[in-house]
Amino acid sequence: MRNVWLFLSLSLTLLGCSDTLTQPVRKFEVLTPRPFGYVIGDVIVHKIIIETRPGILLQPSSLPTQGAINRWLNLNEAIITETESDGGHKYHITLNYQIFYAPLEVKMLTLPGFEMAFSMGSKSVGQTVPPWHFTVSPLRELAVRKDAGGEYMRPDAQAEAINADSTVTGFALSLSIALLSAARLASLYGFWPFFRRRNIFKQALRKLDALSADDMDQVLTTMHQALNSLNGQPVFKHRLDIFYRKYPNYRQLGRELNWFFEYSSRYFFIGTENSGNVNLEKIKKLCQNCREIERGSR
Amino acid sequence: MNLTRLKHYGLWFILTTSLVAVGWQITALYRIYRDNSLISRMISEHGVQLEKRVSANPELRLARASYLKHKLRYDEALETLNLILDQGDAHFQARVRYNLGNLYLVQAIASVETMAINQALPEIGLAKQAYRQALALDSNFWDAKYNLEVALRLLPEMDRGTTKDDNPQNKNSQLWTTVPGFPRGLP
Repeated sequence: MRNVWLFLSLSLTLLGCSDTLTQPVRKFEVLTPRPFGYVIGDVIVHKIIIETRPGILLQPSSLPTQGAINRWLNLNEAIITETESDGGHKYHITLNYQIFYAPLEVKMLTLPGFEMAFSMGSKSVGQTVPPWHFTVSPLRELAVRKDAGGEYMRPDAQAEAINADSTVTGFALSLSIALLSAARLASLYGFWPFFRRRNIFKQALRKLDALSADDMDQVLTTMHQALNSLNGQPVFKHRLDIFYRKYPNYRQLGRELNWFFEYSSRYFFIGTENSGNVNLEKIKKLCQNCREIERGSR
Repeated sequence: MNLTRLKHYGLWFILTTSLVAVGWQITALYRIYRDNSLISRMISEHGVQLEKRVSANPELRLARASYLKHKLRYDEALETLNLILDQGDAHFQARVRYNLGNLYLVQAIASVETMAINQALPEIGLAKQAYRQALALDSNFWDAKYNLEVALRLLPEMDRGTTKDDNPQNKNSQLWTTVPGFPRGLP
């Protein structure tokens, strides 16, 4: 008797095993939303999760096609996501249905079922997705309500005010950039009172413009004062290298500055004659070049 | 040209470009202000001088269409809505299609009132199509749901009778019919 029971239980276990082994689909699950409380225009999302054995592939063409399924049902979207799972395939299928049924009272409707096909080599096997029942409710009463304009209907969607956020942001951004660059240029051109250093040669140039060749003393003094003022201490010819280390941009005017210091020495200490407008113009040109370096345009 | 000079002219270039941008943005802001004030006046249905503008903002055109509809200038309203049918985002397109549906539905109801049934049928069909499109773009558009139901009550759709030729293979090519059923409801 004991052997008989053992034989029976073993046979049943084997039968069970052989069944799962031959099933092409390891897991089949249909996730549905609540089956009530829908109105016209609602979207119903169905999710199907399928796991297949190795070598078994879903035939996407067996899914419902996008578009009108019947007069009141539309399939807006069918999304299939495929991943590998234990040698087989795992499919996540999302079906977005939309209903356009206008019932007179709460009514039960059915989303039609369909047969999903799987290919297994040259063979094909199927898996049925059952139909799904749900109720849909009306939005308006049975008796037609009327207002002054005839049959009552919802009014037009009003135009919304044009959003100016992006334009305001663009305006603020471009204005900030304009102000920042203008401020930087103003400092370079010596328009800020607290950036006097940017103003030294500008003022010197203004003074030089008012002087003539006969005022060579003042011309030279003005230029010296400008250089001294920039350096913070007197600049001499033999200390020009130190000056250039401090203000490397002025090194490009080395020849002109050498000439200026030599000429100034000759003028003040040897008493070289004033050669008139030529030297005045050279000093003005030097001052102009210094001014360009000062404002960063050279 | 050395780097210092390049930086200097770069600053001038940035200043010029940003000033041009500032000018352009000011013009754009002024246009938005003007269009928004026009939209407000159209919504409140105050006397508005309608002028044809080739490059008007879609929202302004939507307001213009509603204003024209209110003045019973249906053809011009339809023309205006058709111009903006594919403009804007999904939310805007849903509103355009809903207003288009309303335009057809109002005309259909007027046709029904005058017993011009042949004229009303295609108008209701077009209204339903426009509402369906609006709902496909925005399934939470409650006004579109309501008015689609109004249109479907005016012209219910019925399933075709089953015949022995029916089979699942030709399911997609099935047709359904519409039956005029104009409810003459309570006042």
